[in-house]
Amino acid sequence: MAGQTDPHVSLFSPEEVEFMAEDELVEIVPNMNMEPLNFIAGDFGRFIPQIPIQVPLWLAVALKRRGKCTFRPPGWLSVDNLTQVLEAEREPQSKFQALPFSYVEIARLLFDHARDDIPDMYMVRSLVEDIRDVRLHKLENNLGTFLGTSAVKMENVSAMEVNLVRPFARRALEAFYKHDKPEVVADRNTRSSRQPREANDEPRRPLRQR
Amino acid sequence: MYGRKGYQLVKDFASGEKGQLKPFNSKLFDETIEECRQNQRLIQSLMRKMEQEGLDVQNNRNADYYGALVHHLSLIRNKRCLMAYVHNRADIVRDLGWRVGLELLELPPEIQEKLTTLEKEYFKNHSAAIKSYMGKAGIDLNVDMVPPKDPYIKVRVVGDIDEGIVMSDKTTNFARHSMHFLKRTDAEPYIARGQMEELTG
Amino acid sequence: MASKYYDIDDILTEEEFAPVLFHKPANRVTIDPSAETNYVEQGAKVELPFWLAHELHLRQAVSINLPACFDQKTRLEIQADAACVDLRSRCPYFYEFGCKLQPLVTDRTLGILLSTAFKIRYKERLTKVFTATHLTASKFLPFLTIEETSLYEAAHLSMTAFKKWRTGGPRFQRASILGRKRKES
Repeated sequence: MAGQTDPHVSLFSPEEVEFMAEDELVEIVPNMNMEPLNFIAGDFGRFIPQIPIQVPLWLAVALKRRGKCTFRPPGWLSVDNLTQVLEAEREPQSKFQALPFSYVEIARLLFDHARDDIPDMYMVRSLVEDIRDVRLHKLENNLGTFLGTSAVKMENVSAMEVNLVRPFARRALEAFYKHDKPEVVADRNTRSSRQPREANDEPRRPLRQR
Repeated sequence: MYGRKGYQLVKDFASGEKGQLKPFNSKLFDETIEECRQNQRLIQSLMRKMEQEGLDVQNNRNADYYGALVHHLSLIRNKRCLMAYVHNRADIVRDLGWRVGLELLELPPEIQEKLTTLEKEYFKNHSAAIKSYMGKAGIDLNVDMVPPKDPYIKVRVVGDIDEGIVMSDKTTNFARHSMHFLKRTDAEPYIARGQMEELTG
Repeated sequence: MASKYYDIDDILTEEEFAPVLFHKPANRVTIDPSAETNYVEQGAKVELPFWLAHELHLRQAVSINLPACFDQKTRLEIQADAACVDLRSRCPYFYEFGCKLQPLVTDRTLGILLSTAFKIRYKERLTKVFTATHLTASKFLPFLTIEETSLYEAAHLSMTAFKKWRTGGPRFQRASILGRKRKES
């Protein structure tokens, strides 16, 4: 649950989504010697100067801030690839392009902490922002196609994007559900208005394709 | 109309900012209970009347029966409003413990004023339960409510803090507007209470 | 879904009034404070809050008619341009109240009215929330029902939280539960 943020708003705060993304592995090139680190998530190291190694993003950022490594930016975070993705996203009727599940958070952390390691940093950053905006519009259009409680399928939507629309989409689906089956809801309310009950003895209605 | 006071009580709760406390409205609360008493008196007098007349309620539902029914339903309605008022406030009282601090006296005075004696008691007992659980589990569950980044953060004092508060690793004089470099977990409760603010950049 | 017994919005929804017709008389009941007697005649037509009307209806003591917020005029307006109708002034709990009434009234078209209105308003108004500016939205906000407003707010708040994260800045803040900051004394 979101901590200091409002619990009624969203299941996760953006800070929490970022926290989860910090477990993604990235490649760094250390400039120091260090014994392996043993974490719950696994062992990382040992660290040898100039030998690239995969570590969790949070560790990479911590080392980078202390001047102990440089980043090797992931392949998708290049001007060539991002230009292609942006063009494809802009195609009318196009689907969401495949990007890493945490592309928003990873990009943000790299822009904040490893700007000197990303070639064409400003170009890359503006491409990522454009892609995010185009996809947000798409997401909005997709929400507009909700017409009832049929299953909704959206592929390649990223963690931050899903989190952004989750509270809205959940409430919207609840509202559609209510209007699809008003008798059930009305009936349930009359029963529950008399006594507090243990939740959910309601028969589950299978989601129906419309 | 019946159930009026209960409605006004719930309306009073709903008119506040979501998730924040208003002062306990004991006037409306007592008036709602009084309305329930009136309903009860009328139910009793109607019941007596029906008994005296030897009415067979199963087969002969007369005006007295429906009159009593209306008062019964109104009483139940007011009860629901009273319960909802107390219940929803209790939710916020518990939230205070998690979001601001487990010590009643550390809550800002303007918040303490909004609680009734019973709510304060509830807060203390709830806090005690959490503290005992955290003690046994050996973990502070109410820190790092935002995922942690750096162990130390820069803060500025914006409220009044008593002098000589001992942080886990040093003692400092927290004069207003002074800036400090503190352990994140030490600073967090002060920030939550609005006595310090985090500085970035 | 959790019980609605303590639900503030549910309680307020049930306070909405509906016209009823008494099939039984009721003694020592004052519905209308200006009435001279405290006796409700059989055949009396009065307005009762939903919570009372409903329970009396279950015991066949009254029958419920449609309240004014679902009248012909509103229906025509919804048919003409659902997105622009000021539903909030008609009934802040338009959909919830409608759903509660639907099984109790003879009118079979109420459910369709509600779901059509919601679908159109959802598509026209609510899904534009993420990219529209707050200013554009503030024009239609006063027309939205309570439920529509909470939908709007759900989207608006998660967008605000996202923008705040994107900009960076302090991660720790004064607990929102304490309300707005006091003026510096």
